[in-house]
Amino acid sequence: MKKIKLYINGMHCASCASNIERAVKKIKGIITVSVSLMTNKAIIEAEDNVSLDEIKKTISKVGYNVVNVE
Amino acid sequence: MHHKESFEEKEIRSWKNKLIGAWLFTIPIALLMLLDRLLKINIFSEEVMVIIILILGFPVIFIFGFQTIKSGLRGFTSFYFNMDSLIALGTIIAYLTGIASFFISLQDYSGISSMIMAFFITGKFIEIKARGRASKEIKKLLELGAKKARILRNKEEIEIPIEDVQINDILIVKPGEKIPTDGIVIKGDSSVNESMVTGESIPVDKKINSNVIGATINQEGILYIKATKIGKDTFLAHIIELIEAAQSTKIPIQALADKITSIFVPTILIISVLTFAGWSIFSQDISRAFGISIAVLVIACPCALGLATPTTLMVSSGIGAKRGILIRKGEAIQTMKDIRTIVFDKTGTITQGNPEVTEIYSKNEKYLLEIVGSIEKLSEHPIAKAIVKKANLKSYKEVKNFKIIGGKGLEADISRNKIAIGNEALMNEKNIPLGNFKLVIDEFEEKAYTVLIVAENKKIIGIIGVADTIKEDSKYTINILNRQGFRTVMITGDNEKTARAIANQVGIKEVIAKVLPEEKSNKVRELQRRGMVCFVGDGINDAPALKQANVGIAMGTGTDIAIESGDIVLARGSLRGVVAAIALSKATFKKIKQNLFWAFAYNVIMIPLAIAGFIHPILAEIAMALSSITVITNANLLRRKKI
Repeated sequence: MKKIKLYINGMHCASCASNIERAVKKIKGIITVSVSLMTNKAIIEAEDNVSLDEIKKTISKVGYNVVNVE
Repeated sequence: MHHKESFEEKEIRSWKNKLIGAWLFTIPIALLMLLDRLLKINIFSEEVMVIIILILGFPVIFIFGFQTIKSGLRGFTSFYFNMDSLIALGTIIAYLTGIASFFISLQDYSGISSMIMAFFITGKFIEIKARGRASKEIKKLLELGAKKARILRNKEEIEIPIEDVQINDILIVKPGEKIPTDGIVIKGDSSVNESMVTGESIPVDKKINSNVIGATINQEGILYIKATKIGKDTFLAHIIELIEAAQSTKIPIQALADKITSIFVPTILIISVLTFAGWSIFSQDISRAFGISIAVLVIACPCALGLATPTTLMVSSGIGAKRGILIRKGEAIQTMKDIRTIVFDKTGTITQGNPEVTEIYSKNEKYLLEIVGSIEKLSEHPIAKAIVKKANLKSYKEVKNFKIIGGKGLEADISRNKIAIGNEALMNEKNIPLGNFKLVIDEFEEKAYTVLIVAENKKIIGIIGVADTIKEDSKYTINILNRQGFRTVMITGDNEKTARAIANQVGIKEVIAKVLPEEKSNKVRELQRRGMVCFVGDGINDAPALKQANVGIAMGTGTDIAIESGDIVLARGSLRGVVAAIALSKATFKKIKQNLFWAFAYNVIMIPLAIAGFIHPILAEIAMALSSITVITNANLLRRKKI
């Protein structure tokens, strides 16, 4: 299992945060997703085989940009 | 961290530009409409008027509102709708009515469309600024770290960027300067203001071997410090990490609001379509149906619902951080209100955790210390350390057959004499009679000493009383908690009498004594049968009990914080923080409830009113903007609360 921290650009309301959570949760291998509008941050726990690219792609499909990965 | 800060500033600036631009075009529209529709002064013909408004309105919606429109319309292709979807749909439909009015008989809402967008942008701008205020303490914390360090290299003082500091570098900190990173003092004498990270306002004295925390301010002397922790491992970095992580934890009360938020926008879209259909069919007035369904679209506000908890949590974390109270799990805020019992670990929580030999009863104290000191030297126990310190031996006797008897004491042989050091239970086990020493033991225990009985060849040769100083504000804190109606309990490995004596000194009512460290969490579980329990202990030894309790409060030691245990972490080892943490949790939870109530009430009342056609689209938009601003402002008001 791995923990990923992402900074997300473009969130402006609570439904944005909830959209990202819902979308990322649908990726296979994702264990937990928690998106904070206040810190513009997503904390994701995922199985090791989940690729960061897939997460990034999913988030951008919903309409937001990942600006930084920690 | 740096780019994030500028990112937010950039966002505020961009909304400000949009705001100015939008109103620049919207004000002429508003004036024209005022003259034309209300005062009936017709400068232009009806058709020219619509064209002018459409031209002026175009940049408002499609240039200044571009980001909103784009993000909103994306919802219709990805089916992840957001707040913007409502505004985008509302303004575009309103704008299109202007164009449509040339072809069919329809009221023109295009002027209103610009005003909705302008008010929306205004609301967003205020909201973002208020949100920034909500996190101002946290941002301060992020910027707290030193940027530069003065370092000694090849006997020369040079200034280097903080990123270049390595562990074991010798750093020089002059009076008034920030300590660059965590370290240990190797030369110099001073005091340090640590209030920014621990909340302790009185400067702390530092001398050789004192630990210092990065980002705290050196007061009067020069300190030479050896860097022990850098970058992500520092105390400050841990605090920041902890607070940031807390922002993503969920509070149960928010769950319903979150669920609603996630289906809110599509629901409103459906409702507005139904509203449109209903009004067009029953009133036969399509113009009116448009106006009303636009109002429904723009009045609905999932933002207030979604922001109620995170904004309050943010403000609360900021207030807490300033006082050295770090809320690690948002859930604790909600649980705290149901806590009735507070269990304190004794050592290190109520007491300093540095036991000292206070009294010795023996005919030959020198000999006693010689043998006890030699044996205890082999043990890691804090009490053993206290004895070794007291004995202060230059040379140690040869110890054989050293054996620890868990929870009772230890035994060993010194020059063929069998020595046993421990409590009454050990003496009983070894069949060593206490005799008249029982009186001394009782006396020591009543003084709250931990008693060590020393026997040589089954005969007692001395009694050692070890006391752990009670922390200054333990009594003060327990008093307050008792008065607030909490059931206060102390848990300890000490025997009943010693534990009682300490409990009496600080005012704790109940004592659970003779508890082995690994049994603490079981005791907490037992107490939980009679209600929610908060456990206060140090984060290192008490981790299981902290986890078992409904709310675990971990006490920091001042230079280290146990991040992984405890729902709330007190950066400073003072019990006063417990009272403040409880007050802060309760105030925060109340604020969250208030905010959620308003957010729910707003939507529950305003949406039906809009459906019923009582609210003009512009008023609807203003109300919407106000509702989220109100929630954030109310969260910011938490600062007024005295904690």
